[in-house]
Amino acid sequence: MLHVHLYGKLRRFAADADPRSESIVDVPHCPGDTVGSVVARLGVPVEELGTNLFVDGRYADLASPVEDEARLGVFPDDMQLLYKWYFRPKRPSPEGPSPKGLSPLGLSPKGTDG
Amino acid sequence: MERILRVNMADRTARFEPVPSSYKNRAGRWLTSSIVHDEVPATCHPLGPNNKVVFSPGIVTGTPAPTSSRISVGGKSPLTGGIKEANAGTGWGRRLARLGIRALVVEGQPQDGRFWLLKVDAKGAAFESADALTGKKLSDVVPAIAARFGGKDHVDICSIGIAGEKRMGAAGICFTDREGRPTRYAGRGGLGAVLGSKGLKAIVVDDSGAADVPIADKALFDAGRKKLAAALGEHAITKPKGALNTYGTAVLVNILNEAGGLPTRNFREGRFEGATKIAGEAIFAGNKERLGRELYNHPCSPGCIIACSNTWHRPDGSEHTSCIEYESDWAFGADCGISNLDQIAELNLLCNEYGLDTIEIGGTLAVAAEGGLWTFGDGKRAIELVHEIGKATPLGRILGNGAVVTGRAFGVARVPHVKGQSMPAYEPRAVKGIGMTYAVSTMGADHTSGYTIAPEILGVSGKLDPLDSKKTELARNFQYATGFIDTTGHCLFIAFAILDIASGFEGVVEECAGVLGTKWTMDDVARVGKEVLDLELDFNRKAGFTAVDDRLPEFMSHEPLPPHNTVWDVADSEIDKVFAK
Repeated sequence: MLHVHLYGKLRRFAADADPRSESIVDVPHCPGDTVGSVVARLGVPVEELGTNLFVDGRYADLASPVEDEARLGVFPDDMQLLYKWYFRPKRPSPEGPSPKGLSPLGLSPKGTDG
Repeated sequence: MERILRVNMADRTARFEPVPSSYKNRAGRWLTSSIVHDEVPATCHPLGPNNKVVFSPGIVTGTPAPTSSRISVGGKSPLTGGIKEANAGTGWGRRLARLGIRALVVEGQPQDGRFWLLKVDAKGAAFESADALTGKKLSDVVPAIAARFGGKDHVDICSIGIAGEKRMGAAGICFTDREGRPTRYAGRGGLGAVLGSKGLKAIVVDDSGAADVPIADKALFDAGRKKLAAALGEHAITKPKGALNTYGTAVLVNILNEAGGLPTRNFREGRFEGATKIAGEAIFAGNKERLGRELYNHPCSPGCIIACSNTWHRPDGSEHTSCIEYESDWAFGADCGISNLDQIAELNLLCNEYGLDTIEIGGTLAVAAEGGLWTFGDGKRAIELVHEIGKATPLGRILGNGAVVTGRAFGVARVPHVKGQSMPAYEPRAVKGIGMTYAVSTMGADHTSGYTIAPEILGVSGKLDPLDSKKTELARNFQYATGFIDTTGHCLFIAFAILDIASGFEGVVEECAGVLGTKWTMDDVARVGKEVLDLELDFNRKAGFTAVDDRLPEFMSHEPLPPHNTVWDVADSEIDKVFAK
């Protein structure tokens, strides 16, 4: 069984959607499950997701594999504060957001044109 | 014509002088750290006659640049013994900038124990007695001061509370918000105590009659301003009804909790069972229930387009406190084991009233609970203890001097601090990058001095695990970037947008170049940031700091933190590389 913790507007997919509660959906695990497949099974639209996705408290993304009894933490797109700057997930997904062309300082390598 | 206003509290003189050419282009943290470095003997006693308090608005503060009403306050910290820059969002700095005052330096020390108010306006600077304003809650005195001088539309007020008057190490410096409430703090490091040691109770600034801040290249500035505004308006975190406008920084409570990095009950665990009851979502929901409508957040200062500040309301719909930031919510919440927002709000309010840094006081209460003074979770008792500080009883004075002093008084070995300043709301054992920032920051354990939180964004390959240890270069580069942002006068929260949207960062550089008439490019970000950090590191070295002070508390190296059960295992040699020459 997987334990999916939902936040913000995504709480509506859990029985207890009170923002002050833990909105948890228990979902049977399927072989080969990823964060993306579990979220899809719940009916959560992928466009409502942000970059704050966690598996057992570790920063993840849609392609991250999920083992049985895992705890998933799923935040919506209006709650993607900070964590993407903490670290990248173990396996960045091809369509995952990435910082656009930033140089070693983390700043644009191209100056302005004008 | 820009000037430095130099105020001597020994003889109560105030004089204007030109900005030396060596300080050309410097403002904000760059200027406060420059003046502290150059004028304050690094080994002086922070509460003695040779320390100074330096206020400086940023490069673009007072211009139409969005989200730029910040004020930097510098000095030698009574809490850490090192250099400090504390920063607040308020209209106060903006008014100072419009008066052409690049820095306000408070120096000297009276011997008679009396307190003074300084009024600064277009005519100059003048003192009046403030003894009658001391010993009171700030909401009792600040609005009255404003009313006397023309009201909140004409003046902003900087003040210290009882904690500063009594020279306590957790005393912050309070500034007025847009409603004239005493709620915005340059909180960390005890600079309120330094002003208290100089007998300066309040500084009132009235910019009536002042001209706009001069801009050397208006076209360049405007181009930059628009790029930044576009980035802020587009990004999911900073845009209207985005993360910050809806939930405020307190949105982080649930995020850090899910990630197992929310320090709980004096940093014993990384998850708090009451987290969802106190997070940004809970604040939004609670306000909605009590007001009968949704309440989005407001700007703390003029010109801010992010608007992340909340106001918590009582059950009867009246205002309780503004604002409950993530750090305060965590400090009084998870760190103290309290899951009642009304109690957290009261603790927040009392710190605002007594002139205290909420982060330091929350951390102090947690250490005190571990020391047996009270029980984690007993919010009523925690509130009583903060009143002790306000009464300046001997117990209150211990608590008001922060986590380290309290730990000593109660025989607690597990005190989460670096260089004497208590740790903010990110657990180093779960988020190692923040641990690096805490360890090397010139300010002590500080989450804002290098808003690094270790991103791989800085060109390091993307295979690092959140619990991985190699964050050296990232820590340094972000310290520089933050040093630069603190110099511009922008709120650090623009970083969320400009680190993702490169044109936004370019816009900030163009704004600065436009105001100053320089030819700055992105390369100057690191250059300026490095100059700021080098000044601070040099001061701290002279003050006696060594590599041994760039370490996390011992217990974190051997006490595993649930739920990840990790320890702090970053090698000292890695830490020492961050600022190694």
